[in-house]
Amino acid sequence: MTAAGAVPGAPPVLSIRGLSVQLGLLDGRWVHAVSDLDMDLPAGTVTLLAGESGCGKSVLASALIGLLPPTARVRGQVGLDGPDPLDLLAADDDVLATRVRGRRVGLVPQSAGTALTPTRTVGALLSEAVTTLGGAVPAADLLREVWLDPDGVADLYPHQLSGGMAHRVLLALALAGQPDVLLCDEPTAGLDPENAAHVAGLLAAQARTGRAVLLISHDIAACAPVADRVAVMVSSRVVEVGPATDVLDRPWHDYPQALWNSLPERGFRPVPGDPPPLTDLPDDCAWHRRAGGACSGVLTLEPVAPDHWVSCGRGPVGVGC
Amino acid sequence: MTSELTAVPRAIDRSRWRAPVTWRPARVPGGRRRWVLPLCVGVLVVLVLFAVVVPWVAGIDPRQTALADANQAPSWDHWFGTDQAGRDLVVRVAEGLRVSLLVAAVCAVVATVLGCVVGLTAAVVGGRTDRVLMRTVDGLNAVPHLLLGIVIAAMWKGAILAVIASIALTHWTQVARIVRAQALTVRTRDYVLATVSLGGSRRQVLVRHLLPAVAPQALLSVALLLPHAVWHESALSFLGVGLPPDRPSLGTLLEDARTRILVGQWWTLVFPSLALIATTAAVAGLSAAARDRLLPHRRTEVGVGGAA
Repeated sequence: MTAAGAVPGAPPVLSIRGLSVQLGLLDGRWVHAVSDLDMDLPAGTVTLLAGESGCGKSVLASALIGLLPPTARVRGQVGLDGPDPLDLLAADDDVLATRVRGRRVGLVPQSAGTALTPTRTVGALLSEAVTTLGGAVPAADLLREVWLDPDGVADLYPHQLSGGMAHRVLLALALAGQPDVLLCDEPTAGLDPENAAHVAGLLAAQARTGRAVLLISHDIAACAPVADRVAVMVSSRVVEVGPATDVLDRPWHDYPQALWNSLPERGFRPVPGDPPPLTDLPDDCAWHRRAGGACSGVLTLEPVAPDHWVSCGRGPVGVGC
Repeated sequence: MTSELTAVPRAIDRSRWRAPVTWRPARVPGGRRRWVLPLCVGVLVVLVLFAVVVPWVAGIDPRQTALADANQAPSWDHWFGTDQAGRDLVVRVAEGLRVSLLVAAVCAVVATVLGCVVGLTAAVVGGRTDRVLMRTVDGLNAVPHLLLGIVIAAMWKGAILAVIASIALTHWTQVARIVRAQALTVRTRDYVLATVSLGGSRRQVLVRHLLPAVAPQALLSVALLLPHAVWHESALSFLGVGLPPDRPSLGTLLEDARTRILVGQWWTLVFPSLALIATTAAVAGLSAAARDRLLPHRRTEVGVGGAA
């Protein structure tokens, strides 16, 4: 049997196995941000990671490039495939800084407004990133790649950019080192639907060049059209991962169903119950404790189709909504 | 009969909201900014020229007494008047300004650089180094700094270098504290993390983020320390461990004036004070203008007024 969360076919660029991340609090308790997570990021695909706020999505992105706070502890394996395979969790910070971050795994950070150095122009930031990372593509071409005009934008300071431009500049920065994996944390936050679709389209274009794209987002409307695969996370666990059409339209697990139902365009029915604090998650299924309903009690992902994995689910929940 | 829903609304007098027909700046820019920088540079150049050229051109020994001319009010012969020993105050103020500017500038720069180095080291290295450095700063702050300054200055009495050392070595601690705090807040900002996530090195973070972040603070501390150092030097001279009384500085001149003003000799106070105030104001204005140019969002604000 293949490993949980696996995708058949070519080996994935990034394969996450049994990843757990806990963040220490001053009073000795631990925040269970990510628990036993299994997921593959295949080359050339966009994987949409959805889930309510505070379920551990952003921590996952930080954990993958070793940027967790010093109080955090991790368990599991994150295999980065390529000519020089590497376990990202076992690699020390020097290796990550000089060989992985920006070069093989790029991160588009969450807050576009504050993630650009305020004292330097867009052009200076980009050319420095290209130099540092030994990128082959010059700064002006990177700006064109994200549909910005180098003549108009390169001399601007971050505070002179609009929100959409800032998101695209961050994407250009993440592309400076031509990474195989692109982690995007809320790249469409605060954008109008047209701009959001625009940014999502840029990410899809990056996937078509062979990159593996992880798209962490609440903006399902903008991101669903470009997603090839969808993973859904609740209370630090991924409960379902599979092809976008299956998970979006015929989810097996009842949390994805509840999450889609809570979208304005799909009925606006709130997700039942309140999320439990991540400091004391129950040992069994936190979701079914909160929402009720029968739980199979199997918390690991099990295959329901060759590339479709579900935990504690009960069969296809419904067709359409 | 018309219902409320179909009633024709009363005509709205649109003339009250007529849009302005010409473009105007959304915010009236401070016109003041435009001449601050040239003015400050001009004042400083004049002061330095005055301090350097006057003693050299006048050809009068500032220590030469002429008791027949003692305590004269400003006149055509003595523009700033004379002191109780008949010495010309133009020459003495110029001479004093030269000594004070030298002492104050060196003290301000040395204390600021030292404070920046210690503060940045504490913030960047952290851990035990941070604790040792900051407890040293606390220890130094616990001793009254005039007392510590006296000890240092008294070891080489009358030497200008000892005065500089005694002031610089007692004033870097405040700078170190502020710089460390500033660096600590910047170190965890989103854009620093973003740089690290793009493979940025420690050196890059230091040069690109921490140094620019503390630079405005450093400039401000130079501006604040400069006049403070002048006063500190005068305090040391007053206590007899600073510069010898025959060597004029703004401090010693003001100490003289302290007694002379009581008998109505206003010129002994006014001219050295003017020199001190002009120096302080020009340096403060210069550092404010420099800070505007270090922070891009302020630079573009200035640009709106057509000044940059």
